[in-house]
Amino acid sequence: MAKISPVIGRYVTIDVDDLEYRVFWLENGDGPPLVCHHTAATHNHQWRHLLEDEDFTSRYRIIAYDMARHGKSDPPRNAEWWKEDYRLTADHFVNFVTAFCDALELDQPTFLGSSFSGCVALHLALRCPERFRAIIPLQAADYAPGWWLDWWRHPHTNGAQVCSSGVWDMMAPMSPDDERWLTLWYHMQGAEVLKGDLHFYSMDHDLRGRLHEIDTAKCPLVMMTGSYDFLTPPEVTRATAEQVEGCEFIEMKNLGHFPMSENYPLFKPYLAQALEIIDRKLAT
Amino acid sequence: MAQEAAAWAEKFRRATESDPIIQCYAKYYTCDFLLDMEALRVGVQMRDGQVHNIEINPAPLEPHHFSLHAPAETWRKMSQKHPPPFFHGIWAASVREDLRIEGNITVLMQNLRNFTAQFELLRQTGVPV
Repeated sequence: MAKISPVIGRYVTIDVDDLEYRVFWLENGDGPPLVCHHTAATHNHQWRHLLEDEDFTSRYRIIAYDMARHGKSDPPRNAEWWKEDYRLTADHFVNFVTAFCDALELDQPTFLGSSFSGCVALHLALRCPERFRAIIPLQAADYAPGWWLDWWRHPHTNGAQVCSSGVWDMMAPMSPDDERWLTLWYHMQGAEVLKGDLHFYSMDHDLRGRLHEIDTAKCPLVMMTGSYDFLTPPEVTRATAEQVEGCEFIEMKNLGHFPMSENYPLFKPYLAQALEIIDRKLAT
Repeated sequence: MAQEAAAWAEKFRRATESDPIIQCYAKYYTCDFLLDMEALRVGVQMRDGQVHNIEINPAPLEPHHFSLHAPAETWRKMSQKHPPPFFHGIWAASVREDLRIEGNITVLMQNLRNFTAQFELLRQTGVPV
């Protein structure tokens, strides 16, 4: 008997700042939409376990897309992208997420982003909270300087090995080998865009002094970080969360920067806890 | 002390040359590096994935491509089976703790996958400090 997954994949073409993107997404489940974004330089397989977890798919429509230039989502179809240095900006990132949600006619999705997409989650909470039921930034901070590096795409090195080896250290050493190697593998595939992604993360993303403007009454915010994440340590995320009135913070013990991918069984109860907090806040 | 360090060096050589990850990736793994553990320094010469030489306390002017420097206590934490947070790799420990990486970083980056795997063998062999 073949093991056929209930997860399905489709493409949608969207316009973002006059750039035409053909975007691939995976989805499974029924209920309010839960939109999941991968980390920099990788793709939606990071959410493979959540997409097939009936404890969540029985309650939510889980949607995990590949951002443009990642996974099965190509660079823009209507531009000579190969003649430009890819540098992601906050404006374009926010517009991409909202255009994708509009294209799928998602009503008040919950947004779940990690690392650079955890950071854009803060921008979504600041700029357009009314569009989302709730926002869960993972591994995010108000400011994350220092990682827009030439090493990610250097002609004298093997970019796939450099990018993925950096990623290796961001995971908890006790996470299972097979899951850590898959997480590393995804990063090997996306190494070419890491520097451009991190232009947003370390250069254009800077919400220092603006976090107090986020209104969690319009959109609940729960921030979570793994205890082994050296890139965004718990104290950094906690300090960010404390600047947002009403924001909750959860430290995820024995997890690193890729909790949903490196050790899903440990991540699952934390995600359930975050969703329960959101339900409680929305009920009051 | 000298005998213990020599025994550790042999253990580290055997661990490196029998490690399936290094032997899978390391056909061109060639570089010289220094591990400065405060109480003791270890010079390692790698050639095509094999340990050419491990020297305990090499002479001060012995050349190497790159070097890692940290107090002995940091090396002991990094070599635990399950290191505490931020002692679990050279990126983590150099960004968040007191590990310093010096020298020709290009050579480190060129050999990063293999060096990372070899560095983690310290969790099996421990450190001689």
